[in-house]
Amino acid sequence: MTRRLYVSAALLLVSGRRKMAAPAAGEYFSIGGSVSCLTCLGQRLQGEVVAFDYHTKMLTLKCAPSSGKPNVSDVVLINLAYVSDVDIINDRTGTPPPLASLNFNKLANRARAEKEEKLSQAYAISAGVSVEGQQLFQTIHKTIKDCKWQEKNIVVMDDVIITPPYRVDNCRGKEGSAVAHVRKIVEKHFRDVESQKSVQRSQAQQTQKDSALSA
Amino acid sequence: MSMKQAGGNRKPGGINSGAAAASGAAGFGRQSLGRGRNSAKVPSAAVAFSGVYANMQMVHVLTSVVGNKCELKVKNGVIYEGVFKTYGPECDLVLDAAHRKSPEPSVGPRREDIIESIIFKSSDVVVVHFKDVDLNYAKKVSSEQDNFTDNAVSSRLNGEHKEKDLEPWDGGEQHASGSLESLDNDLSNGWDPDDMFKYNEETYGVKSTYDSSLSSYTVPLERDNSEEFLKREARAAQLAEEIEGSASYKARVALENDERSEEEKYTAVVRDSHTLNRENKYIPPGQRNREAGMSWGAGRQNSPRLVQCSPGPPAPRAGPHDYGTIPGVDQRVVNGGPPRMSPKSQRTPRTHRVASCRGGGPSGADFMSQGASGEVTAPPPARSSPSGGTWSSVVSGAHRPRSPRQNSMGGAPPVPSSLSSPQAGTVPVDSMTTPTSATSPTSASPSPNLAEAKESRIQETRQNSPSANKENVKPMESSSGISRLASKGPPSMTPDHRKQLDNLKKFSVDFRLQSSSNPDPVFETMVSKAPRDPGEKPKEQATDKSTTDATESSICDEVPVTLVATAAGSKPSTPSPSPSSAFGTVSEQKRGPDVTSQGVQTSSPAVTSTLKLDKDDKEDKKDPVPESVRKSTLNPNAKEFNPRPFCSPPKPATTPTLPRPQGQPSPSIVVQQPAVYGQHVCFPQMYPLTPVSPGVQKSIIWKSPAMYHVPVPHMTLSQSKPYRTGKVPNMPQQRPDQHHQPGTSTMMHPNTAAGPHIVAPNPAYSTQYFTCSPQQFASQPLVQQMPHYQSQAQHVFSPVMQGSPRMITPPTHGQPSLVSSSTTQYGEQTHTMYVSAPIHQQYPHPSATLHHHPQHPQPSATPTGQAQQGTQHGGSHPAPSPVQHSQHQAAAAAAAAQALHLGNPSQQQMYSALAPTPPSMTPGPNPQSPQASFPSAQQAVYIHPSQVQHGYNPNHMAHVQQAHMQSGMVPTHHGTPSHPVMLMAAQPPAGPQPPMPQGTLNPIPVSSTTHFSYMAHPQCKLLVFLLLNIYESKGFNFEQLMICCAR
Repeated sequence: MTRRLYVSAALLLVSGRRKMAAPAAGEYFSIGGSVSCLTCLGQRLQGEVVAFDYHTKMLTLKCAPSSGKPNVSDVVLINLAYVSDVDIINDRTGTPPPLASLNFNKLANRARAEKEEKLSQAYAISAGVSVEGQQLFQTIHKTIKDCKWQEKNIVVMDDVIITPPYRVDNCRGKEGSAVAHVRKIVEKHFRDVESQKSVQRSQAQQTQKDSALSA
Repeated sequence: MSMKQAGGNRKPGGINSGAAAASGAAGFGRQSLGRGRNSAKVPSAAVAFSGVYANMQMVHVLTSVVGNKCELKVKNGVIYEGVFKTYGPECDLVLDAAHRKSPEPSVGPRREDIIESIIFKSSDVVVVHFKDVDLNYAKKVSSEQDNFTDNAVSSRLNGEHKEKDLEPWDGGEQHASGSLESLDNDLSNGWDPDDMFKYNEETYGVKSTYDSSLSSYTVPLERDNSEEFLKREARAAQLAEEIEGSASYKARVALENDERSEEEKYTAVVRDSHTLNRENKYIPPGQRNREAGMSWGAGRQNSPRLVQCSPGPPAPRAGPHDYGTIPGVDQRVVNGGPPRMSPKSQRTPRTHRVASCRGGGPSGADFMSQGASGEVTAPPPARSSPSGGTWSSVVSGAHRPRSPRQNSMGGAPPVPSSLSSPQAGTVPVDSMTTPTSATSPTSASPSPNLAEAKESRIQETRQNSPSANKENVKPMESSSGISRLASKGPPSMTPDHRKQLDNLKKFSVDFRLQSSSNPDPVFETMVSKAPRDPGEKPKEQATDKSTTDATESSICDEVPVTLVATAAGSKPSTPSPSPSSAFGTVSEQKRGPDVTSQGVQTSSPAVTSTLKLDKDDKEDKKDPVPESVRKSTLNPNAKEFNPRPFCSPPKPATTPTLPRPQGQPSPSIVVQQPAVYGQHVCFPQMYPLTPVSPGVQKSIIWKSPAMYHVPVPHMTLSQSKPYRTGKVPNMPQQRPDQHHQPGTSTMMHPNTAAGPHIVAPNPAYSTQYFTCSPQQFASQPLVQQMPHYQSQAQHVFSPVMQGSPRMITPPTHGQPSLVSSSTTQYGEQTHTMYVSAPIHQQYPHPSATLHHHPQHPQPSATPTGQAQQGTQHGGSHPAPSPVQHSQHQAAAAAAAAQALHLGNPSQQQMYSALAPTPPSMTPGPNPQSPQASFPSAQQAVYIHPSQVQHGYNPNHMAHVQQAHMQSGMVPTHHGTPSHPVMLMAAQPPAGPQPPMPQGTLNPIPVSSTTHFSYMAHPQCKLLVFLLLNIYESKGFNFEQLMICCAR
């Protein structure tokens, strides 16, 4: 069964009916239920209700991961004040699963790490690194954390230096597994980029293949 | 964190609480979490979470995405990208490193585009998109996975704060061999020895030479259908029941065999039924035996039983009963043939019990001895002797020291020792194979041992001659035979024995007079003791005599061996301090023998005592004597036991004795005194002495106090012990007397116990014996001694000194004994004690003789003489020879106590024999033979007197000290120097030296301590009783006891 609510009015009505009762998330949205919302900006969001706060009118949905990766999901925090309509696709009966304890230190560390990483990238970007270079950096960083920008060069493990245009041939360093490994990563990165067709044509990227594909 | 239930149901509160707002952005998460908990715990808490913080789900999800990159779209359509840092109660969102997302795709922000952090009001936020969030990223993984205990499991509440009810795990019906339950269902009681041996042989190639029959340590109990055996068996069973029925025993057993397993005790899981129950619970050896039936073969069982018995004894009631029973048995044995059927019957049952209790193990020897004795001599006597041995062992329960000694004795004297051990055992303790003592005198501490042996032998002979000279002789011989195995001089013994028997008869006559008054039970006990003593004495005498001979040498060798075995250190020392040490050793040995072959040992002691008693009671005692002699026959078995003695060393008693001896070589006297004290301690009756002692001899007093203390707590024990001791010494006499004097119940007992000895040897002796045997021993000895001393004042000033104390003590003893004996029978005994005391006073002559003897011994050869005395003492007086003392102290300690008493009696007898010649022929013979052969013998006599008198109770204190003191005092006694020395030596251990000057007083204390130590040993069995008493009385003893036990 689907209910359509016009957020503002609906909430008002609800609040009016229930007076000052402290509505829990479950009172308007059953935790675990599926909801579809249309924001005022015209963005439709659908997902499983994770939490809802009446006073702030903040609704949290867990949606399918945009990247399609397993074991992850997108979380959307929606302010129902700016939602044109809410469709309750289905309600979930029964009590929601217990909430697990969270390791806040781990979360805090993640936040700090993410921030540093972003700043690091920003620094590199500000240095005039090409988009291709930035993408490559991000790709390498996923595999090898020990990588950093040195001017426009990507330094991996303090051993391998990737200079613009960041091609496989640009990987230099002491002969060894490190260079070979990095080259594989770089090679795969560009191959993936091409395959995805989400190519950002850069000087470095403009290979024949790329051109061909792009073409 | 644990957000779970935090604000789950809480109202948002509508307002951003200051608290929430106050919390820093970074801290929000935590605070919120923490508060969540708090809220959960205390819903009405003042710090109500406001806004989003009150929304558990929201808090949880928002916290889970902290650190994730997100795109935040504001209502004007601008998108900001940043790292989600935290959020506020109003759902204000904080993004770190945020930048305004440019329309250009895939172009990273420039450094200058990034804003450190941006706070977005919820009202401005349209949508926040977190991509690829791992909601399980921050889930806590318990780092305590390993703590899979009830507590850890139940503690994983995660927000819930109520006790988690653990449910028992039901493994189902699987009973696979590998399952956990198989362990619980395993009915086996640990590894079977055979399995262990097999495993070691297969795995390590170690071939065990273990023989379950312990043939190298003991002799299997020869079971027969004879009435006596059955009686003894019944008696043993009865004793076992009494012991095991005691509350204290149960309480102690419960400690080890708690119905509940640890799981049951400490688990948080409540299980309904304990199916396992005691299936796999430890079963004491004794129990096993019982369960399995009483197989003597199971030496272990016996030993366990002994232990058990000992526990039982500790319980005052049990202890007394045991003792009483034991004495009874002894008496019975003694009486075996004699008059007191009831006592005997009781005794026999007791013996049986004892046997049963002890099972075959250590007592195996006892049983063996008993059986052997039974076989050899008339069943009753033999039994009696054996039973005596067993009883002693059983009694040892009460007189753990003895038993230990016996064991130790047996163990110590391996081959020769075996013989010697028996003798030693006999001499000092009940069955102390006089032969050993005799032998021991010759070789190890020749003089002491000889003296003892002589005494024992003489007594035995006397006893034998009186009641059943042949029997006695036989026992003696048989016992000696055991010792003979080592080529002892049992034959030689016979003459002495006969003499002793005669003396004993005389004593018995006298004794009867005294004993007649004694209650039957007491008498029984006394008798039993007396018989033993006589037996021992005869043996001792014989041994002494023989000691003079090559046989003696052999015996001596045995004795020495035993001594060595029991207390190698002591022995070594003994020789030099021989008199005292020898005595100590002898006494110890005697004890050992007693233990090993109580019959023999007992017989010897009994003989000695009986001799005294006999002298006094003469005829009556004579009869007992024969019995005792028979017991001595049992000793023959004891001989076999000698090997056991080796084993015995392991026993607390022996080891303890040894240490003690060693420690107190010279102190041996002291040791003896200690031993005596121990005995005294053991004997509640002794307490009376204490009162008395105060006046005259501190030592005596001490002893008596100690005795009293112990006795008081453990009236039965103390009594029993006294009896034992008394028995041992007295046994012969008592037996004769008692047996002969069926009528004398109360008086008889004390007297019988002590009396017999006294009677046999001399009146004085009898008195001494009485004191000794009844714990009286102390009292009796004191009394007797006192009387003796007084009467004999001449003999020794020290005696006088002591005597006065003793005199005092005797009365007190009598009273105390009465008190302690307050327990029914005991009361009688105490009476007897009193009676005996008077008698003893009469005995003075004997004592005088004794004193003389002591003097003689001292003069003759302080070392040798002492040694002889020691031997005698060994039997009776541990003090004489350090070695003996050591033994006494060590092994004897427990058994020693008895043995000592016995030994003392024997010594007394010896004295009587020596000095009292008149009273009882035995004294003469003993003294003579010993003396003759060994000047030391006289010394021995001395020692004996002192020991005997004091010995038994405090007697060692008094006796030894007195004797020594006297000797010392009475320069006349060459021994004095030697004695003093001895005393010093002995005292050193116990604190003897001081005594020297102060005479009895110092010695007494010392001795008391020593005694306690001794006591400890003996008490090992009596542990509880004695220990407690000892504790009270003296920590030393306890320690010693502990040591002894350990050993």
